[in-house]
Amino acid sequence: MLRIKNSFKKILCAGLAAVAAMSMTLNTYAAEPYKSYIYDAWGDPIPSQNAYRIDKAVTGFDMGLDRLSDPADPLFIGENASARLANAKDMYFDPELKQFWVADTDNNRILRLDEELKLVGAYTGASDGKNFAAPSGIYVKRSVIDNKLYIYIADYENSRVVKASVESNTELELVMEYTRPETDLYTVETFNPSKVVADKAENVYAVCTSVNQGAVQFTKTGKFQGYFGANRVEVTAAVIAQKLWRKFASNEQISGMQRNVPVEYANFDIDDGGFIYTVTEAANATTDAVKKLNPAGYNIWNNSTGDTYVFGDMASEYDATANQTYSTRLTDICISDNGLINVLDFATGRVFQYDRNAELLCIFGTKNSKNDQRGSFSSPNAVEAYNNNIYVLDGAKNDITIYSETTFGSLMHEAIELYDQGRYSEAKPIWENVLARDGGYPMAYMGLGKAALNEGEYKKALDYFETAYAQKSYDRAFKYARNEFIEEYFNVIVTVLAVLIVWLIVLSKLHKRNIFIIKGKLGKLFQKQKEGR
Amino acid sequence: MYEFTPIGWLKHCIFHPVEGFEDLRWKKQGSMKISAVIVFMLFVAMVADRQLTGFQFNGNYVKIFNVVPLIVQSVVYYITWCIGNWSICTLLEGEGTFRKICIYSAYSLVPYIVCTLISVLLSNFLVQEEAIWLIALYYLGYGWSIVLMIQAMRACHQYSFGKTLISMLLTLAAMLLILFLAILLLSLFQQVYVFFYQIYTEIAYRIRG
Repeated sequence: MLRIKNSFKKILCAGLAAVAAMSMTLNTYAAEPYKSYIYDAWGDPIPSQNAYRIDKAVTGFDMGLDRLSDPADPLFIGENASARLANAKDMYFDPELKQFWVADTDNNRILRLDEELKLVGAYTGASDGKNFAAPSGIYVKRSVIDNKLYIYIADYENSRVVKASVESNTELELVMEYTRPETDLYTVETFNPSKVVADKAENVYAVCTSVNQGAVQFTKTGKFQGYFGANRVEVTAAVIAQKLWRKFASNEQISGMQRNVPVEYANFDIDDGGFIYTVTEAANATTDAVKKLNPAGYNIWNNSTGDTYVFGDMASEYDATANQTYSTRLTDICISDNGLINVLDFATGRVFQYDRNAELLCIFGTKNSKNDQRGSFSSPNAVEAYNNNIYVLDGAKNDITIYSETTFGSLMHEAIELYDQGRYSEAKPIWENVLARDGGYPMAYMGLGKAALNEGEYKKALDYFETAYAQKSYDRAFKYARNEFIEEYFNVIVTVLAVLIVWLIVLSKLHKRNIFIIKGKLGKLFQKQKEGR
Repeated sequence: MYEFTPIGWLKHCIFHPVEGFEDLRWKKQGSMKISAVIVFMLFVAMVADRQLTGFQFNGNYVKIFNVVPLIVQSVVYYITWCIGNWSICTLLEGEGTFRKICIYSAYSLVPYIVCTLISVLLSNFLVQEEAIWLIALYYLGYGWSIVLMIQAMRACHQYSFGKTLISMLLTLAAMLLILFLAILLLSLFQQVYVFFYQIYTEIAYRIRG
């Protein structure tokens, strides 16, 4: 009897557990392997909603890279062509053809993928017959001059930048080779271009390893034109101390000292307006971490002119599971077609998204700690944006992770788009919707505040700006609010002032005649003083 | 010659930086109670400056309000100043008593307090373009108080001007020393406390078995 009872209990328990498990699988979803956060006006991290969720991770096999080793396929490269990416270092999205170009560095080839990340082309060399060797940077642009599609490849090991026109899915016609400039201005022995872009006039900019004067700039015809947009030396205590020592030291001593040179920048991107954005991959760089350079090489986001542009994480972070301290090392930057700026942090595997004015919008992605999860990265090398998705290329996991927008993200982007155009009132209902999803989202309060300011509701604007802790905007709203207040109460203020003045005059007249209206201690206080004199 | 109420004496000292404190000393005036009120007002002014300054001027970290640093910056600094000054000037043949030092120092703080309170009030009506008024008020309050403090110490100890300055610098050094020793003492006593508390818990566990 007892046995039967027990087994019945067991069955009941198992049944309940199964039901519970079922209902759990129904209710749970694959959460992101990180907690979403954002920084407030104080630079403190605060929790936020996910603006992006992980859609999928695409490996070489998913892209169809096995076609490369299939002799029957038109894209056939060789019998043992790898069906995996290998330490791919760069990725470029061509918005015109809607195609991705991947520099598959260790496989010495360039891959061309369509918008679904399916393989459509592969190149192992240009028409000169020389194979690419560790191509680590890629840029593709249709020329406005002869309307041909040109590809620029930073051919790292071959010490050259290749400019070639794209003829077919497997052929590149070599147009120009940019090699080490034979000039005294170029002092470095090597020429190892790691990243490359070209502007509208087809000037070529190449970031080269161990060149810290900036990007090496070539004209269309291959002439060395100089350096572009060097970083400055970050001012630390050691640098200041050395500067002082140099004043006293002899020439021999100075020659023995370490030189303070700026950190070379890691990567760059160019936007439609011809502005070049650079990132510097030095740990916790505060000087010139991200720059927006105009064609003259002047940094628009310059903190030394009184602005406070901050990029990446505010402070180093200790990860207990990996027993490691991470500090921001920005490795790639991408300007999407809607003007949003995505900055990829190599150390923490995070993508920081900013709007045109470098206001932080959202942070997503994470570093692999112990377990290899979707959406976490080992060696994130490149970030691209297309169609409201963010693509992150991982050079160690050899895949491309696709992030797609959440509802919160799409609302926020819609609102930001209107906000950046100055259409604050139109953005208002969207910001309210955003706030309903994330009540602590700082930009929403800024947006609502500006809308209220535009509509003349200054009190409301003051409230919003105070919540967003935007002192400058608050100050502007306060000026209007004050004017409004003075206009409204002008009569009262003048009357009160007049009465006060008259009262004081009368009082002093009376005091002179030794008549005191105020009795008691206060009156006596005046009296004694008068007598004393 | 001068017959003032205690408040009248305070006013006299503030508005007569050259002779005010000498008169105060000559007439053996000055009230400890008023000094205490002034020091309390210094604390109040500091709190007001942190909490009530207009939003557009307030750069303080408003998320957390901790009153202890403000107490230290007003009351504790004041007391240390008095003790330090007394210790130094006793050695340097100053004539001031501890009571006098306390009173004279407190009296000379009044311009700073008043200017701070006025600027807190004004900051709620001004915009950032007009910040120059607040800055002017700030420097006015500071400068006036420093001048008064020098004069007060000079009158208190009957020093020459140069000796006053030296004694004040030495007082600052003494203050640092006192605060350092105080912190050291505090941490040592804390360790002693922890030691005895551990003994207590140990015994308590043994007794409970």
